[in-house]
Amino acid sequence: MTKSMMESLGQYGITDGMVTSLVITILLTVFAIIAGRRIESIPGRLQNVVELSVGKLYGFFEGIMGKHLCRQYFPIVATIFIYILLCNYSGLLPASGVLPGLKAPTSSLNCTAAMAVFVFFMTTIVGLRANRGPRYFKHLFKPFAFLFPLMLIEMFVRPLSLSMRLYGNVFGEETVTEQFFHMVPIGLPVVMQLLSVLMGLVQALVFSLLTAIYFTEAGELEEGEELEAHA
Amino acid sequence: MGLVALGAALAIGLAAIGPGIGQGIAASKALEGMARQPEAAGILRTNMILAFAFMESLSIYGLVIAFLLFAKI
Repeated sequence: MTKSMMESLGQYGITDGMVTSLVITILLTVFAIIAGRRIESIPGRLQNVVELSVGKLYGFFEGIMGKHLCRQYFPIVATIFIYILLCNYSGLLPASGVLPGLKAPTSSLNCTAAMAVFVFFMTTIVGLRANRGPRYFKHLFKPFAFLFPLMLIEMFVRPLSLSMRLYGNVFGEETVTEQFFHMVPIGLPVVMQLLSVLMGLVQALVFSLLTAIYFTEAGELEEGEELEAHA
Repeated sequence: MGLVALGAALAIGLAAIGPGIGQGIAASKALEGMARQPEAAGILRTNMILAFAFMESLSIYGLVIAFLLFAKI
């Protein structure tokens, strides 16, 4: 991507982060197609790697969401994890933020807010599906009815804090690295980058973990209703 | 303008104090637990990271406010 190309795209509201996120999406899709094209009972090298990593992720989320929910919603949660991880790490590539069309998508509030809003609606859908209809909204009146305003606020604060957390962390880390680079160009930024390798992983984990917990909370059935629902 | 800069610095500076102390306490307890019961290390680590995320978000709110103010300078 050249600068003039990016500028002409910018007229239509297309930012650097959007280009990067599109590239990441395409790369992931192509990788998934290649890895899943020929699945054999005796796995090759690529299939082995993918199976192992997906298996590890599945085990991790199964421990949080439980067997039943994890089977249903593992694809969403794992996709969020992998996508955010790659988005965070795209900010670590050389010339990221300087080269037109390459910038960590998660360092913009638009990207994180979009994901958080998606998680918000998905949580409601999970709750509606698990509880067979609007009975799900009864949880807003538990344990006491007068706590309803508080529960409502909590429900709407979730996407706000989810998006702000990821955006603030990634954007803050990038800004700090940049400032360090202006102060001491050699050495110090590398230390910060090493820290941000860890940070990128932790933030991706936190976002998907919270998503998994929200889904679990929405999806688990009330005691006593379980029998009725499975009958 | 000077006051805005001071406000931005105070926003992130003050917002870092509480979560810093809180995360320190949480980490010390979690590490203690891991040392006593190494077999529970996995679940402790997951929950520790989760608790950190909630504490950290407080500090992040301060950071976001600081950035908003910083843009005004």
